[in-house]
Amino acid sequence: MEGLAGLASPIAIGLLLGGLYVVIALGLSLVFGVVKVINVAHGDIVVLGSYFAWVLLTNLGVDPMLTVLVGAPVFFGLGILVERFLLHRAIKKSADAALIVAFGLSLIIQNAIQWKWTPYSRQLGTSYMLESFAIGGLRIPLVYVLDFAAALVVMVVMHQFLKRTYLGQAITAASQDRQTAELMGINPARVYAIAFGIAMALAAIAGVFLGMTFPFTPTFGPSVLIIAFGVVILGGLGNMVGTFLGGMIFGLSQTLGGHFLGPTGQQLVPFAMVLVVLTIRPQGLFGR
Amino acid sequence: MRRKIPLSKRGSLRKRGSLALLVAAALAVLPLLGVPRTWLLYLFFFFVYLAAANMWNLLAGYSGLLALCPAAFIGLAAYTMTILTWLHVPFYVGIVAGGAAAALFAAVISVAVFRMSGIYFAIGTLVLPEILRLVFLRWRPVGGGLSGGGAGYMVKGVSKLSSADSYWLALAVCCVSVIVLAIILRSKFGLGLAAIRDNANSAASSGINVFGLKLYSFIIAAFVMGMAGAVSYTREGYIEPLSGFSINWLMIVLLSVVIGGIGIEIGPLVGTAIFVILRFRLARSGDVSLLIQGIILVVIMLVAPQGIVGLIRDLHRRGITGLIRDLRRRVEGGLGQRPSPILRVAGLRSGPPPVSAVSTPDSLSDSHAPKEEQTWEK
Amino acid sequence: MQTPVDRTDPGALRGLGESCTTPAEVLLRVSNIDVYYGSLQVLCDVSLEVRSGEIVAIAGANGAGKSTLLKTISGLMHPAIGSIEFAGRDVTRLNAYDIVSQGISQVPEGRRLFPEMTVLQNLMIGSYNRSARPRREQNLARVYELFPILKERRNQVAKTLSGGQQQMVAIGRGLMADPKLIIIDEMSLGLSPLIVTELFRVLHEIQARGVTVLLVEQNVWQTLHEADRAYVLETGRMVLSGNAIDLRQEEQVRNAYFGA
Repeated sequence: MEGLAGLASPIAIGLLLGGLYVVIALGLSLVFGVVKVINVAHGDIVVLGSYFAWVLLTNLGVDPMLTVLVGAPVFFGLGILVERFLLHRAIKKSADAALIVAFGLSLIIQNAIQWKWTPYSRQLGTSYMLESFAIGGLRIPLVYVLDFAAALVVMVVMHQFLKRTYLGQAITAASQDRQTAELMGINPARVYAIAFGIAMALAAIAGVFLGMTFPFTPTFGPSVLIIAFGVVILGGLGNMVGTFLGGMIFGLSQTLGGHFLGPTGQQLVPFAMVLVVLTIRPQGLFGR
Repeated sequence: MRRKIPLSKRGSLRKRGSLALLVAAALAVLPLLGVPRTWLLYLFFFFVYLAAANMWNLLAGYSGLLALCPAAFIGLAAYTMTILTWLHVPFYVGIVAGGAAAALFAAVISVAVFRMSGIYFAIGTLVLPEILRLVFLRWRPVGGGLSGGGAGYMVKGVSKLSSADSYWLALAVCCVSVIVLAIILRSKFGLGLAAIRDNANSAASSGINVFGLKLYSFIIAAFVMGMAGAVSYTREGYIEPLSGFSINWLMIVLLSVVIGGIGIEIGPLVGTAIFVILRFRLARSGDVSLLIQGIILVVIMLVAPQGIVGLIRDLHRRGITGLIRDLRRRVEGGLGQRPSPILRVAGLRSGPPPVSAVSTPDSLSDSHAPKEEQTWEK
Repeated sequence: MQTPVDRTDPGALRGLGESCTTPAEVLLRVSNIDVYYGSLQVLCDVSLEVRSGEIVAIAGANGAGKSTLLKTISGLMHPAIGSIEFAGRDVTRLNAYDIVSQGISQVPEGRRLFPEMTVLQNLMIGSYNRSARPRREQNLARVYELFPILKERRNQVAKTLSGGQQQMVAIGRGLMADPKLIIIDEMSLGLSPLIVTELFRVLHEIQARGVTVLLVEQNVWQTLHEADRAYVLETGRMVLSGNAIDLRQEEQVRNAYFGA
C-alpha cells in the first residue's frame, strides 16, 4: 500500500514548511497579543521584507541570510516609527479605526512595491537553494530545513527575551493588564511601539525566508496574512508553543490536503480547518 | 417595521422624501437628455458603488459589524446571475436571484462568523472572499471544462444593453439601497441598532435581540450589495474569480464610507461621489492611484475619522475655533480629564478612549462603544 | 545625591539631598482637586494630607469616588483643577509610570496580578522602575520575610493562587517598587477576617520599616483600629477627617458604618 510510505514526504515537508509559517505568524501574534490590534498589513510587511532582501541581493549581491541581520534592525526602527505616529493615534480612536488604518497601510505598501518593482514575480535565488538532502529515501530541499531552523532560532531568542529581560517582561505584563503595568512604571506607549518594532523585525526575517522558499509578487501580502492568521488562530494566542504547533498543523494540513485532494485541497483544507477551529474553539487549540 | 416618527419630524421627513424623489426622477430622465456617454459611465459606477457603500455603512456604521467580506456577497451574486444566464434565465431575474443567493450565504455563514467576537469577526469575514475565489477557481457548474481559458464566464444576454439601460439598472439598485437604509434607520429596527451601538450590554438587558438585529442587517446588506455587484457585471459582461472576489470591492466601500463619514446616513453619498471622481481622475496614473487611495484612507482615519460630512457637521456646530481646538487635542493625542465642552448625544461620544479590540465573546464588533480595558469600576 | 537612609526611622526621606526631617513631615499633599470622568464630575474640592510614617485610611461608600481619588494620586487620571504634591514635588501632571519612580506605589483593587505570570515574575516586574532596580534583591528578600509562603510558591502561576495569597503578592509587588508611599485599594475585599488581620499586621511592619501607607477600605471598623488617621469621602467630597481614635467616636461615622 503506497499509502503510509507515501505519507512520509508530505509529512516531513509539511512540518518543515510549518517552520516558515511559524516565523511569519510570530510577528502577528506578538502585535495582537500586546497591542490587541490585528495588523492587517502584516502580510504586506513580510513581502516588503522579501523585496528588501531581493534588492540587496540583485544590486549588491548580498546573501539573503545576511540580509536578515540588516533587515531586522531596519524594520525594527520603521516599526517603532509607524506605531508611534500612525497606529497609536488610530488605536486611541477605536479598534476599528486601527484596523482600517492598517488596511490603508497594506494598500500603500502593496502599491508602492508594485510601482517600484513591477508586478512580476520574484524569488530570492541563491546557489544553495537548489540543494536538497536525501534522508531515508526522502528528498528534502535545503530551504525547508533552513526555514525550520530559522523558526527554532527565532523562537528561542524571543522566548529568552520575553522571559529574562525587563523589557520582555514589561511587554508581557502590558499585554496582560495595561493599566496595572503602568503602575509598575511601564510606559505602555513605549512598550507598544517596541513590540510593534519587534513584530516588524520578525516580519522582515520571515520575508527573507519566504522569498527563498516561494516566488513572491507585490500582491502576495494578503495570502501571507491569511496564513499568519490561520496559524495564530489554530495555535491560539499567548504562547509560543501554541504558535509553533499551529504552524506545524497548518503546514501539515496543506501538504496532506494536497496529497489527498490535489491542489484544491492544498489551498482549501487549511482554511477549512481555521474556520472550524474559529467556530468551535475561538481561543485556539492551545490558547488560554 | 412600523414608522415611529414624532409628529414634528414628519414634516421634514416628507420634505426630505419629496426632495429625494425629485432627484431620483431627474436622474432617471438624464439619459434621455442626450448627456455624454462618459457621464452615464461615471454615474453608473457611482450608483453601483453607492448602493454597496450604503449597505456597508449599515453594517459597519450602524450595526457594529466590521464585515470585511463585501466581495463575497458581490462576487457570489454576480456569479449566480451569470450562471443563471447560462441556464436561460434572463439577467434581470438573475440580479434579484443573485441578491438572494448572497443573502442566503450571509445567513448560512453567520452561524460561523457570528460566534466570533470583534477582531475575529473581522478576520473571519476577510477570509470569506478568498475562500470563494478558490472555490470558483475550480468549480465549473455550467459550461465545459477549462480549455486553457480562465475560470470565468461570460454574462449571456447583456451584450445588447445600452449605456442608458445599464444606467437605469444601476440607478434602480441605488434607489433600493437608499430606501432600504432610510426605512431601517427610521423604524424600530433602527432604534434597536442605535441602542446597540451606544451600549450593547444595556441594549441586551432592555430586551433588544442584539443577535437578531445584527443578523437581519447582515442578510439585508448582503442582498442589496449582491444586487449591486450583479448589476456591475451586467456591464462588465464577463466575470472571473479574481475580479468578482477581489479585495478591490472592500477598498471601494471602505473608502466611500470612510471619506464621507461612517455611521452617518448621507456619508456614503458624499464619500462615493468623491471616491468616483478621485478614481477616474487618477485612473491614468495606474499604480499610483491605488497608492494615493491608501494614503487618503490612512490620513482620513487619523485626522478626520468622522469623515467629510462629519467634519462639516462639527464645523457647523462648533465653529472653526472649536474644530481647531478639537483637532489640536486629537493631534496631541492627549487624554485630559477636562470636561468636554459639549455634551454629545447618541451617535458621538466623549469619554475615555476606546482601547480593546477584543470584546467579550457574546458581543460582536462594537466599533462605537468605547470600553476602557479592565476598568476598576466601583 | 543619595544620602544613606535609615529605614527604621519612619520620618526619614530618601536621598535627593534632603536631610532627615521631623516625623510629622507631609509626604503627600492633595489640594482641592476636581476630577472628571469624561464630563461627569467625580471628585469635588478634595484635599488630604499624608504624613511620613503614618497609616492613613480613606473610608466611604461605594461610588463615593475612593478609587478615582487613588487613581488620580497614582497618575492614572489627572485632576482638572487642583494639585498634588509628593515629597515636595508637584506631581499633578505626571503619568502613572513616571510617578512610580518618584516613590509612590499602588496596590490596585482586586489585586490585579498579571495572571499568567508566576509569583516571582509578578514580584520582579514590581521593581521595573529605574530607582527600584538596584535594590531588587534586597527588597525581594524583605518581601519573602514578610510573606514566607510566597517564597515557597514563587514559581506558581498567579491566577492559581487563593485570594489571600494573591493579596500578599500584590502587596509584595508594590513593595518591590521601593516606595516611600504605598497605596492599597480595598485590601480586605473578599478575604476572611483572619487573613485581613494578618495583612494589617504586615502593614504595621511595613510602617516600622519606614514606608508610609495610604489605605482605601470598606472594612471601616477594623481600619479605624489600625490606621493613625482617616478621611471619609462621600459622593466626591471629603466630609470628615481626623485621628482614627476620634473618628471612631464620631456620631456620623457610628451611624453610617456601625449602625450604633
